Amino acid sequence: MISASSDTIFRLRETRDRDLYPLYEYLHLSTVQQVTGGVVSFNMGGWGRVDLADRTTEDHTNGDLQYGYLSYRGDRNNLVANLGRVWVTEGVASERIDGAYWRSDLAAGFMASAFAGRPVVTEPNALAGGDVIYGGRIAHSLPGLYTIGVSAVKTSQVDDGADVLEREGIDVWLHPVKQVDITGISSYSSRTSGWMENTYHLSLAPLHDFRVSADLSAINYRHYLDGVTTPALSVNNALNFGAGTSAAGANNGILNPNEELFMLGASVGYTLRKNLDLVADYRHFDYKVQGDAHYFGANLTYTPGTYSAGLQIHRMDGGAERLSYDEFRIWASRRWGKVDVTVDLFDVLYDHDINDVSNSFSISGAVGYQFSPRLRATADVEYMRGPDYENQLQGLIKLTYAFDVKAGTEGRAK
Amino acid sequence: MKNICLGLLVTVLLSMLYACAHTQSLARVHPEEVKGLVDCGECHTDRWALWNHRAADFYNKHRFFADEQSKACNVCHQEAFCADCHAHKEEIKPSDKYKDEPERNLPHRGDYINQHKIDGRINPAYCVKCHGRQNNERCRSCHR
Repeated sequence: MISASSDTIFRLRETRDRDLYPLYEYLHLSTVQQVTGGVVSFNMGGWGRVDLADRTTEDHTNGDLQYGYLSYRGDRNNLVANLGRVWVTEGVASERIDGAYWRSDLAAGFMASAFAGRPVVTEPNALAGGDVIYGGRIAHSLPGLYTIGVSAVKTSQVDDGADVLEREGIDVWLHPVKQVDITGISSYSSRTSGWMENTYHLSLAPLHDFRVSADLSAINYRHYLDGVTTPALSVNNALNFGAGTSAAGANNGILNPNEELFMLGASVGYTLRKNLDLVADYRHFDYKVQGDAHYFGANLTYTPGTYSAGLQIHRMDGGAERLSYDEFRIWASRRWGKVDVTVDLFDVLYDHDINDVSNSFSISGAVGYQFSPRLRATADVEYMRGPDYENQLQGLIKLTYAFDVKAGTEGRAK
Repeated sequence: MKNICLGLLVTVLLSMLYACAHTQSLARVHPEEVKGLVDCGECHTDRWALWNHRAADFYNKHRFFADEQSKACNVCHQEAFCADCHAHKEEIKPSDKYKDEPERNLPHRGDYINQHKIDGRINPAYCVKCHGRQNNERCRSCHR
């Protein structure tokens, strides 16, 4: 069986010095063949873009292979073997690789996974992303009680054998009773000899209509940012914290490598009546260097079916000047037969002006039309005004086509 | 020599555990078509009942589920779904690509050129998930 889906997107944007009219084609293709003992499939997704207005620059065209791999899934033991460009999420590893991935259930509640290949990084020449990556995870599950896993990932360079990143971690999912679950991960950077992250999340649902959650997270910048290839986030640049500015005007070494973040959060959710949910949430950010901040607010959502609406109000109250603002969002969506309409307003009010502007807002409207189960068209317009834009108007037209209705939409639901 | 022996021992042990395993694989595709933000607890009574996509904390927790139970995610989501945010290279913000799906609370809404300077200082770990080693071409246009 072969299935495919296509998203053709035409954007209309204006920048400070020119108008852009990029045309995108996103294509997702999969073929599935039943074989003895399992299923073999080939999955591929990618996009291409051409700018219809500006063909003067080198980047007036662009494109990417997002994923493309041959896969075997066994009928037994949740056996999966993938070969090609795959995204691996196994404990401390969250990497896209050109290589091989394997996982399977083992006896006595154990499972194992392993992967190896070449890391796919967008900017391999900016900061070392590594030439070789490998790792794996072993976990034990007791259905109805827990899953605990240990994982490791290592990336190194071929020419000098230098390690780019080396991480180990423990992940847990505890669900002793239906109303309680705890998820979390602790990850350690062997390359820099320190804990990168300890993040844990507790969810309680004592009543069907009443939910409580709490989360804590400790991040050490020096260890967490090791192996990152984005200059603005890289620990290698962070070690030059405050060293100066680049030609483009942005700071090299924006983040202080000595910074440590401890975050504590909680939320309480209550279903006031069917499809009407109210959630209040709070987060405390405690920084070792730059003081602390509080983020708190509430969300109200109403989702009865043919229409839905939401209201979000939050306040960020921090020691730093830029960490003092109010955030509002209100949205509504309504469907009439084959037509649906959405309006969305997002507004941020700063306590201290940024570029002499205290209010940043955007308002957008979208219209969708379902021509058939296979074909849908949407069009939207957005107006923005803020510290970096005096007035900006942009639009987008999207045509979505599923070549095979059942499989084409498989997994592409919202 | 010690490492080789340890590796062999682990391989033999894992092979034995594999040979003795007899679990039934999860369905490749969810048998019922589901749309929108689903509450898996509406049908499931086992551990999958905890996957309530409508819960306020699901967005924060989805990374743990993906790290530990990606096989279960794949029953409903193809990789294309993840790639909308966790992309290798992507030029369209998720919140721009799906303006008609406001209930998903997709990131980078509004004037994100300004807001990224604030969010990046609040918790850069959030940025690293999608822009740490990939999808950072636009970062490079200013940050060298």
